[in-house]
Amino acid sequence: MTSRLGAASVLLQIAFRNLFASRVKTAIIGGIILLGAVLVVVGSSLLDSIDLGMRQSIQGSLGGNVQVYSRDSKDDLQIYGSMMGSSDLEPVPDFAALKQALLGVPNVKAVVPMGIDRAMVGAGNLIDVVLAKLRADANRILAGDPSPELRRDYEAHKAHVRRMAELLHEELKSARAIADTSTTEYKERHAEYLDLERAMDEGFWARFDADPLGGLEFLENRIAPLSADNAFVFIRYVGTDLDAFAKAFDRMQVVDGQMVPHGQRGILLGKWYAEEYLKLRPAHRLDKIRDAREIQRRRIATDEELQRWVKENAGATRDILLQLDPVKAEEAKVRLQRDLGSQEEDLGKLVADLLAVDDQNFDRHYRAFYDDLAPLLQLYLVNVGDTITIKAPTKTGYMKSVNVKVYGFVQFKGLEKSGIAGVMSLMDLMTWRDLYGHLTAERAREIAELKKSAGLEGLDRDRAEADMFGAATDGPAETKQSRIDEVRLVGHRDEQAARQDRFDRVYSQDEIDQGVVLNAAVILKDPGRMRESMRQIEAAAGKAGLPIKAITWQEASGMVGQFVTLSRLVLYVAVLIIFAVALVIINNAMVMATLQRVKEIGTMRAIGAQRRFVLVMLMVETVFIGLVFGALGAGIGIGILEIIRARGGIPATSDQLNFFFSGPALVPAVGGVSLAVALGIVFLVSVASGLYPAILGTRVTPLEAMSSED
Amino acid sequence: MSAIVSVQAVSKDYQLGKTVVPALREVSLEVNAGEFLSIAGPSGSGKTTLLNLIGCVDTPTGGAVRVSGKDTSRLSERALTDLRLRTIGFIFQSFNLVSVLTVFQNVEFPLLLQGGLSGRERRARVSALLEAVGLQGHGAHRPSELSGGQRQRVAVARALVTRPALVLADEPTANLDSQTGANIIDLMKEMNRKDGTTFIFSTHDPKVMSHASAIVRIADGRITGRELVNGPTA
Repeated sequence: MTSRLGAASVLLQIAFRNLFASRVKTAIIGGIILLGAVLVVVGSSLLDSIDLGMRQSIQGSLGGNVQVYSRDSKDDLQIYGSMMGSSDLEPVPDFAALKQALLGVPNVKAVVPMGIDRAMVGAGNLIDVVLAKLRADANRILAGDPSPELRRDYEAHKAHVRRMAELLHEELKSARAIADTSTTEYKERHAEYLDLERAMDEGFWARFDADPLGGLEFLENRIAPLSADNAFVFIRYVGTDLDAFAKAFDRMQVVDGQMVPHGQRGILLGKWYAEEYLKLRPAHRLDKIRDAREIQRRRIATDEELQRWVKENAGATRDILLQLDPVKAEEAKVRLQRDLGSQEEDLGKLVADLLAVDDQNFDRHYRAFYDDLAPLLQLYLVNVGDTITIKAPTKTGYMKSVNVKVYGFVQFKGLEKSGIAGVMSLMDLMTWRDLYGHLTAERAREIAELKKSAGLEGLDRDRAEADMFGAATDGPAETKQSRIDEVRLVGHRDEQAARQDRFDRVYSQDEIDQGVVLNAAVILKDPGRMRESMRQIEAAAGKAGLPIKAITWQEASGMVGQFVTLSRLVLYVAVLIIFAVALVIINNAMVMATLQRVKEIGTMRAIGAQRRFVLVMLMVETVFIGLVFGALGAGIGIGILEIIRARGGIPATSDQLNFFFSGPALVPAVGGVSLAVALGIVFLVSVASGLYPAILGTRVTPLEAMSSED
Repeated sequence: MSAIVSVQAVSKDYQLGKTVVPALREVSLEVNAGEFLSIAGPSGSGKTTLLNLIGCVDTPTGGAVRVSGKDTSRLSERALTDLRLRTIGFIFQSFNLVSVLTVFQNVEFPLLLQGGLSGRERRARVSALLEAVGLQGHGAHRPSELSGGQRQRVAVARALVTRPALVLADEPTANLDSQTGANIIDLMKEMNRKDGTTFIFSTHDPKVMSHASAIVRIADGRITGRELVNGPTA
């Protein structure tokens, strides 16, 4: 053993024994460092995992690696929207050109066209739905269809409408009982009351079969509006090349239904969106209560929000009753009497009982609802195969309605419970362009043909006012109650065929590509070279005469993408505070320790120890504590992470967490980087906090050894 | 005979608030190699100050101190430390052992600072010295487990382990009972005789100073006399 090693070993021994000799001090300093190390390791590992989760969530569901959009846009692209609503983007007129230019960049794997927007979707109210069915039945019977099934459906639908009228009548009656009879509102409501009485009347239904279309007209115009619920709900969608989208975003899954066939028009509704906005409210509230109880361990008895949901459900029995025709209502009554062990004859009271859940009966009632009652109900406002009407304001300011067929529901693997990803519905690009209001060549031609066949000339600007308001003699002087002629209303048969053609048409890839988009997701072959590829993408588009801007998925995700950065900032501030406190405490303790050892240090100096020796000796002590307890803390941190992993991760208790965790739970990985950073920080802090006391130590003169007091 | 220590017209003033307290007033002293010299005087007379100046742990206000032929005023702090390490051994009034190290490690400590010896050589030298001071078998003990006399023996061994030319001891017996103190002085004297190491120690105890080969008397910062004690040493 050489002397240098010997000296080092003595240094370590002195340090170690000094630490052992003052255990309390060591424990305090060590404890702080340990806490800091645990926090750094656990915190940064969790954040790294969230970062990775978010990266996967965003990249795998909508963002891709890079997003491009027009440089002339007023707003920045935010694919998840911002507080201010959707971003106002300048359209990219020809996606095909953009795609061609970007595919020329070697690192670009795929370019997916997009247009993100939100609109309203009209789903019709329940009475409308039943009336539409009744109208279809009536039309077939008038056309001479004799089948007994049709007859049965027709009767059932009639009974259902009548029952609905009864329910509405009952509601209005109780409202009238407490209303002020002198107001004009009361008088208006009185007319409604009379309409409802008529719709319940035996005579009305006896005459109905003789003129079903006339009866339907009355019901549709006077009765259906009285149930105004669920008229319109909002919808958020991305118009895209659905095949390219599915290929680029492998997390996309079609649940219920099927993928929109290649090149056809259609929409895939977000599964989460459907649950949240299109599901029967009482059922949705039951789901929410179940999730709150099972995932968040909340209890109805102690949770005000859950109590509110239960209360809301108690007042929502009508949502369920309206759906049940008399046959189903009878069946529901029998089933609920059995489930609830009740003799109650009033179905409304039975449903109310079923929905009046508490912590004891919740599971039983939840099962009863889904096993017995739900099969009799239409749980979702929209079902696979339905055609929905989407209404959106176009760029030019007009309201535009487009009918689109629902092919299925879509969700993103791991993000099933996340609203941020799940609120999005996917729509074919052609329908999106119609809604966006940008005239495709095809639409322009179609409109020109329509005008010609209708004999319309373009409105002359000078005569416009006169055309619209002046020629009163041409207009109807008074509105006559006239029979609706469906054929005339929808248009002549050719137009109808054209419309049908547009609905069924299979568009070629060129037709899909050649047109307007708002932005596009770019998938890279090597995501690691993102910045470099972004420059190349902008350059390539620039060369093709397309002024586009490339931003990272993180920038494109706006506030959502900032979450990790923000959390990291919070963590670092917390770590900073802990270590600042540690620095002060350690420094203080070591200064005290140095002062206590002035005589010993003086002696060492007297018998020939250089200042450097004293410096190193004192530094070794703090660094030794730092490293030992830092490593211990890191170890405990890893242990905590392992326990979390062994228990299946941290459950995502909210929609947002599902997105951040990229799944129902966050299973944190221990990052080597965070470990190295933790030990590095601890080392730096111990050096920094030990430096001053050590320098103080070097100032001790050998004279101190000579003082006789001990 | 050559002078290992040469003190020439050395003064040392201490600042005590606004007043200057002179501890040494132009003191001159020559110590030859191999001497066993006692500096005697009442407390406050300047004994400790003189020893500190000779031991290079303090600097004079005026005059020159030469140790082993080197003018200490011209040496850097590092060089002074090195001089203390290689040329001077220290024995302290209150032993000044490193409490967290064992007896063996305390004695070995200066050798580790010095470097240059192998572990085997160090062990041999430390063991021999512990035996010489009568502490064989106590190597693994902590200082706190030893009596005062034993601790001072450890300190003697530590002072001698580097084989210094000069050993300085400020009141080495002050914290010991008279019998133990006498034993320590005997031990030092034996080392002086065996190896020819120069010893300078301060004391105010007449019994202790009677062991010295020469006595330098000091009072009020001035050397008042130098006398030989019953021996041919000087």
